[in-house]
Amino acid sequence: MRGAKPRVEIFTERAKLAAGREQTVDVLVRVTPPEPEADGSSRRRLNLSLVLDRSGSMGGAKMLRAQDAAAYCVDQLLPADRLSVVIFDDVVEVLVPSQPVEDKEGLKRLINRVSARNSTALHEAWVRGGMQVSEHLDAGSVNRVLLITDGLANVGLTNTDEIVSQAKGLFERGVSTSTVGIGADFNEDLLIPLARAAGGNAWHVAEPEDMRRIFAVELEGLLAQFGHDVSLGLVPSDGVRVTDLLNDFELTETGRYRLPDLQAGSPLDVVLRLRLPERRAGERMRILDLKLGYTPREARGAEVLKEAFEVEFAEAAEVERLPADPEVSKAVLLLMNARARREAVSSMDRGDYAAAARVIDDAYTSSLRLCASMPADADAAAESEELYRLTGSLRERGSDSMSRKILQYSADLLRTSRKKR
Amino acid sequence: MRKWLEAARQRKHVGAAGLAQEAARILSESGGAQQARGTVTELPDERTVRYYITEGLIPPADEKQGTASLFGYRHLLQLLVVKKLQAEHIPIRKIRELVTGRTERQLEKLLGAEAEGGAASKNEALGYLESLLRKGPQPSAPPPAAAPPQASALTGPPAAPPRETWARVELEPGLEVHVSDGYRAPQTEGALRRLTQSFLDLLRARAGHVPRRGGK
Repeated sequence: MRGAKPRVEIFTERAKLAAGREQTVDVLVRVTPPEPEADGSSRRRLNLSLVLDRSGSMGGAKMLRAQDAAAYCVDQLLPADRLSVVIFDDVVEVLVPSQPVEDKEGLKRLINRVSARNSTALHEAWVRGGMQVSEHLDAGSVNRVLLITDGLANVGLTNTDEIVSQAKGLFERGVSTSTVGIGADFNEDLLIPLARAAGGNAWHVAEPEDMRRIFAVELEGLLAQFGHDVSLGLVPSDGVRVTDLLNDFELTETGRYRLPDLQAGSPLDVVLRLRLPERRAGERMRILDLKLGYTPREARGAEVLKEAFEVEFAEAAEVERLPADPEVSKAVLLLMNARARREAVSSMDRGDYAAAARVIDDAYTSSLRLCASMPADADAAAESEELYRLTGSLRERGSDSMSRKILQYSADLLRTSRKKR
Repeated sequence: MRKWLEAARQRKHVGAAGLAQEAARILSESGGAQQARGTVTELPDERTVRYYITEGLIPPADEKQGTASLFGYRHLLQLLVVKKLQAEHIPIRKIRELVTGRTERQLEKLLGAEAEGGAASKNEALGYLESLLRKGPQPSAPPPAAAPPQASALTGPPAAPPRETWARVELEPGLEVHVSDGYRAPQTEGALRRLTQSFLDLLRARAGHVPRRGGK
């Protein structure tokens, strides 16, 4: 895989665009990093800290599942990896100081002895986990804290903005953080922004049984990391305007969009909405230059891939006869539905549950149309299934905090082309 | 790149030509001139340096050696950053904004030279976290020098209730829309449609109340 580059493909729904009028067109930019090597020989070392909530509410099934998931994590690691475990309630304790994963059984025994107790010193525990990773920070490893909690930070620093900004600060110094929120009582308005600012993933475990699966997805993602510090620069040609980027990625200081990490074998879909000038039939036009910047794993410097996007114009009737690529309308719909989810959350926060239900209803209807046009597509099916469940719970319960979490988390996953399956 | 910068930190360069030469050497030796797909950043020469100074992209020399200008690390760093941003097709105006008033650390960061060294960033991450612990939970962000501690925007109680500001937009004579600064326009087609519809309904309802000329 060393030296292999991601593939950047650019599509419009039909191969040509209609001539003779100004138009708005959605463009799908698909970034596909190379497949991981089958033998896993080139996998990156992990330097991981599990930061596990043991406050009172974690008792019972939640703690058992968390321990099971942590033990699973230990099993997946190699002796060259490092692991530390920090547990916290109102007191923070480094249960396992950072060490190579050599004595797997010993590690699992320690983890299984943890039982649930008092309140939640989330911030300090995160700092301690970060320190365990930082002490052995290695540019060739994935250096990450995995923060697992079911509650609200109520001891020590509890200000959300401040914790998020600190997590961003640590990320800028080489350590990323992912978060796992369990159940319905934690603060997703802390855990999602935290992971996003800290270069990690935000996961929601609705049921304790899902814990192991989420850990598996997180670990897979870490092992498959292809490139980080990913950015996308867009230079439209004269007369062309980028009117929207449906993923709502943040802009960097240099006017680029900040993209999530690239994972080997998993395509990342970005959709741009462009306003194009009028052109005559038969004319070709270079409408956009793209620059994808990323730092490949184990490389020191950034790489830049450049792509120019050219389209041909034809009479409207001819364009109509061309086959439509359902991948483009699917990408557009999933991103619009991510926005619909965030809009529903805003409505819920204003107390307007009817509006939230309407927005999700609309999104559900669009997802049904997508399913009709792509009957075999698993993403389309999963999307309409989730929206169907959400319309039901929103109509019945309105202020349900679990629905709010599902909305927020799935919006985040859709935006970054990540799958939780 | 870091290695080359470390070596250059204490050096002075005589004249625009000297500065250009040093930057060109670093770019070619560190591979910094080599972009993906074989496009190569043009190496800077004396003319480029003079042009950048005129354009305000690099500060003028602040020392002299005889009649020649003497440039230092800051100048070198800024020149390298400008070349890098230019190769990324960032407009001069934007580059000027990005480099002016930056610290050397920030410029190194823009150059991507900062995150490279494992050892350096290791201590940095650890030092950062230790400073967070020392700082403790209560005033969590250093308040601005002039402001009293309780005015900290992040931790202290707000001094005054947040003020809401509204913008007045005139759509046509006699019709204004007031928009709160916290307002976010709907992003989905459905919500936009509903908003447009309620606006149209409002206009129609008002139109019903307007006395017709010559009526009654």
